[in-house]
Amino acid sequence: MGKADIATRDLQKGSAEMIVLALLEGRSRHGYELAKLIESQSESKVQFHVASLYPLLYRLERRQLVEGRWVEKAGERRRRFYRLTPAGKRALAVQRQTWREFVSVLNQLTGFSHA
Amino acid sequence: MPDWRQYVRRNLPRLHVGPLRENAIVSELALQLEQAYNEAIAAGTPEAEAAERAQRQLGDWGTLAREINSAEMMESPGPETRSFLSGTLRDIRYSLRFLLRNPAFTAIAVATLAFGIGGNTAVFTLVDAIALRSLPYRQPDRLIAVETRKAQQPELEAWTSALDFFDIREQATTLSSLAGISPVWNVTMTGRGDAEQLETLYVSADFFPMLGVNATLGRTFLPQEDNRTHAANVVVLSHAFWEKRFGADRKVLGTNIVLDGSTYTIIGVLPTGFRYAGEPLAGTSTEIDAWFPLAANPLVGSARTLRFLKLVGRMKPGVSLAQSQDELRRIGTRLAEQHADSNRGFADDAQYLETQVTGGFRVAMLLLLGTVGFVLLMACANVANLLLARASARQREISIRTALGASRFRLLRQLLTEGFVLAALGGAAGLGVAWLGLRFLIRIAPSTLVHAGEVSLDGRALLFTFMAILVSASLGGLPPAWRMVRGSIESALRGSGRGMVAGHHRLRSTLVVVQVAVALLLMVGAALLIRSFQRLLEIDPGFRPQNLISISTQLPPGANTPQQRTAMLRDMRAALNQVPGVQSVSAVSRLPLLGSNLGSWLFVEGKYLPGEPGYDVEYRVAAPDYFPTMGIPLRAGRLFDEHDDANPGAGILINESAARKFWPGESAVGKRVKLGNPDRTPWITVIGVVGDVRHFGLDADPRPEVYRPYALNPLGAPILVIRTAVDPASLSNVLSAKIRSVSAGVPTYNVFAMQDLVDRSTAQRRFVMLLLTGFAMASLLLAGVGIYGTVSQAVAQRTQEIGLRMALGASPGAALRLVFQHGMLLTLAGIGAGSLAAAALTRLMSKMLFEVRPLDPIAFCAAALALSGFAALACYVPARRATKVDPLEALRAEQA
Repeated sequence: MGKADIATRDLQKGSAEMIVLALLEGRSRHGYELAKLIESQSESKVQFHVASLYPLLYRLERRQLVEGRWVEKAGERRRRFYRLTPAGKRALAVQRQTWREFVSVLNQLTGFSHA
Repeated sequence: MPDWRQYVRRNLPRLHVGPLRENAIVSELALQLEQAYNEAIAAGTPEAEAAERAQRQLGDWGTLAREINSAEMMESPGPETRSFLSGTLRDIRYSLRFLLRNPAFTAIAVATLAFGIGGNTAVFTLVDAIALRSLPYRQPDRLIAVETRKAQQPELEAWTSALDFFDIREQATTLSSLAGISPVWNVTMTGRGDAEQLETLYVSADFFPMLGVNATLGRTFLPQEDNRTHAANVVVLSHAFWEKRFGADRKVLGTNIVLDGSTYTIIGVLPTGFRYAGEPLAGTSTEIDAWFPLAANPLVGSARTLRFLKLVGRMKPGVSLAQSQDELRRIGTRLAEQHADSNRGFADDAQYLETQVTGGFRVAMLLLLGTVGFVLLMACANVANLLLARASARQREISIRTALGASRFRLLRQLLTEGFVLAALGGAAGLGVAWLGLRFLIRIAPSTLVHAGEVSLDGRALLFTFMAILVSASLGGLPPAWRMVRGSIESALRGSGRGMVAGHHRLRSTLVVVQVAVALLLMVGAALLIRSFQRLLEIDPGFRPQNLISISTQLPPGANTPQQRTAMLRDMRAALNQVPGVQSVSAVSRLPLLGSNLGSWLFVEGKYLPGEPGYDVEYRVAAPDYFPTMGIPLRAGRLFDEHDDANPGAGILINESAARKFWPGESAVGKRVKLGNPDRTPWITVIGVVGDVRHFGLDADPRPEVYRPYALNPLGAPILVIRTAVDPASLSNVLSAKIRSVSAGVPTYNVFAMQDLVDRSTAQRRFVMLLLTGFAMASLLLAGVGIYGTVSQAVAQRTQEIGLRMALGASPGAALRLVFQHGMLLTLAGIGAGSLAAAALTRLMSKMLFEVRPLDPIAFCAAALALSGFAALACYVPARRATKVDPLEALRAEQA
C-alpha cells in the first residue's frame, strides 16, 4: 500500500461520518441503500466496507445524530431506516463549515485552485 | 437461498448488548447480506459465487463485533446530558404514576417517612436552637466565661467577688475585655401608677461593646458611668419593657424614673430580642427589663468573701483558650496567696461561653437527636421493606426491561428515583409534621430549656429536612433497588423468579432484625430514663410541697434597721394569717430548689485550729414557724421561738447532714460553733437538728446547712411561705394583695406553689424522658409493622407449602408454630443484637441517669419483654391466616 493510499484512507475515515450524515439529509435511507449510494456516487473512489458502515451508524445513533426505525412497506421486507435528528442536522452543518474552512486554507497554502 | 440470519447468528461473536438489541443487529446485518446476494443473482451471477460475494461483505467477524460493541457502549456527553435530565424527568413521572396507582402502599410509605423526617426536623430545630447554634453575639467563639470556684466543690455554681473581678480585669493580658454581671436583681419602680417589680441586671460598661451589641435608641454605658467611686444613675431599657411601659416612645431618652427610691435617667433602649445567654440567665426564662452600670450595685463595694458576679471575657486575637485558662489559673493562685482569708481554697478558670450556656443540656439534646435519627432509620427500613414487598409484583416489569436492553445503571437510577420521589413526598408531609411537632415540643418543653420565639422552622431546618430526605431516599431505596436489579438479571437469565424472591426474603429478614435491634436500643434507653425518673420522684424533698405557696417580696427602702424589718415582717405575717384558708405563715432567706445560696464558714469547737479553714456550709435565715410551715421535721433539740428572736446570742439550727458530718455518732445539740470569721464572731450553741432539705434539686445530695433566726439577720428580701388548707393557686392573688397592703411600694413576685418548684426541678428530666419514651413507642410500632409485613409475606409465599403440609396431615397448630417460629426467631436475633448495641451505647447516657446503672437488668428485661410481646402480636395475625389455609386451594394454585 502506497503513501497516497494511506492518506485517502484517513481522509475517508474522517469524512465518513459527514458523508453518511449528508446522505441522510432530506430523506431517510436504510443501510444497504447507503452503502450502494456511497459506492456509486463517489465513482468507487470512496468505498465503504459494510463492516465499518454499520458500526458507524450505530455510533451515530448512540450519539443521537441519527435515528433508526424498522419500517415495513407493502410488498417489501421490513428494513431499518435511518434519518437525521435535529442534533444530526446541527452536527452536519458544523462539519461542513469545518471542511469548507479546511479546504480554503488548503487552497491558499497550495494555491492549486488559483493557478 | 441461504438463511442469512442463521449465517450471521452463527458467525457473529456474542455482543455485549441486551438480547432484543442483538436480535435487531443480527437482522439488519442479515438483510444487508441478503440484498447483496439477491442483486448478484439478478445480475446473472451463479448462486455459489453470489453467496461468496455476499459473505465477503462483512469482513472479519471479530473486528465487526468489536466495532459494534464499542459503538454500543459509547456515551456522548453533549446530547446525553440533555437525555439524562429528560430521562430523570421521565423517571419521576413514571414513579408518580406508579405511586398513584398504588394509593395504599403510597399512603403507608409516605406516612412512615413523614413521621420519621418530620420528627427529625422538629427535634433538630429544637436541639439546634438550644445546643448547636452559636450565640448571637459578635465572634461568639472568642467569648469565654471566667469562673471562680471552690476547688473542693467544683459542682457548686461559680460566682466571683467584685474585688476579684477588678483584679482579674487588670491583670489578664490574654483578654481584650472582661465584664462583670450581677445576679438578677429585683427593683421596684414607683411614681408611674402602681409600684412595679422589675427584673434587672447590673453590668460593667464593657459588657455591651464586648458582645457587639449597640443600643437601637440612645446608647449603652460609658466607662465613666461605671466608676467604682461614683456611679451614674443611668439605666438602659430592654426593647420589650420600653414597648410595654413607654409605648415605644422615642422621646423616652433623658426621662427620669424612680427605682428603689432613687432617680435614674434613661439613656438607651436595647435591640429587640436581646438576651444575655450566659449565666446567671442560662437556664432561666427571665426577661430582663432594665440594665444598670455595675458600679451602681449596692454590693459592689463589699468584701472578697461576697461572691456575686458572673464574668464574661473576650480573648485577644490569636490567643487560645488554653493560654487564657493558664493565665487565669495563675491569677487565681496569686489572689489566693494575697488574700488568704477570703480566697484560700478558691481557683479561677475559664471555659467557652458557649459551653457554659449549653453544657448542661448538651448530652440530653444529643441523646434526643440520636434517638430520632434511629427512628428515621427504622422508618427507612420500613419503607425499604415495603418496596421489597412490591418487588415481587414488579419482577415481570423489571425482567422485560432488562431484556429490552435497559442497563443496570439505568434501572438502578429509576428505582432510586422512585425512592427519592417517595422520600420527597414524605419530606413534604414531614414539614407539616415538623411544624406540629415543634409546636408540641415547645409547649411541653420546660421554659428553662426553650425560649419562646427563638425556635422556628427556618432555613437550617429546611436544609436538614432536605438532607433527611436524601438519606431516607438512599436508605429506603437503595437496598431494594440493588436487590431488584441484581435479582432481575439473574432471574432473567434463569427465566424464573424464585431465586429473587428468596433473595428478597433474606434482605427483608435482615431489615426486620435491624429494626428490632434499634427498637430495643431505644426502649432500653427510655426504660433507663423512666427508672431514673421514678427514683427521682421517690426522693423526699425534705418538706411537704402540697398546699404550700411562696411569694417573694422586698421590704421598702425605708425599712432599714433590723427592728423596722422585723416589725414589718411581723405585720405581713399577721395580715396574711387573717386570710381565710391560711394555716401558717413564715419567711426564709432562700427557698429550697431555687439553686444557689449564701455560704458561710463553720468552725467546730474542739476541732478548730487557728489558721485552718473552716467547713463550708449553707447559710439560711428563717423566721419563726418556718419549719412547721414547710413541714420540715425536727430531729433533735428544739426549734426557734420568740425568745430566740429577742436574744442576739441565740443558737442555731443545723440539718442532719451537718450533724452527721461534724459530730458523727454523737448528739449535736448543745455543741458550739463559730460562723464567718472565727476571730471576730462568738461561739453559738446548736439548739436543734432539723431534717435535710433538697435545696439544690431532687437529684443533688443535701449539704450541711445552718439556720439562724430572722430577727438576728433580717434580710431586705424575705421569701414568704404560706401553708394553706385549700389549693394555694386560688389564693395567690388575695395573698399578694394582702402583702402589698401592708406598706406602699412593697412588690410581690415569683408567686408559685411549691409543688410547681418541685416539678420544675425535674422538668428537664421529665421532658427528655417523655420524648425518648414517645420515640421508643414509635420505634416499637415501626418494628411491629416490620415484623408483621415480613411474616405476612412469608405466609403468602409459603401458602402452598403450608397447604401441602396440612394435606399431608399437619395440624393447624403446626402451621401456627411454623409461622411463629419464623417471626420470633427474627425478633430474638434483633433483641440479641439490640442488647449488645444497648450495652455499648447506654454508657453514653450515664450522665442522664439517676441511681440507675446503664446496664440495669430491669430496664433491659422490660424492653426485651415488651418487644417480644409486641412481636408475638405482630406474628399472631399472619399466623392465624396460615392456619386457615385450605389445602385443596393451595394445591390447585400450585398446579396453575
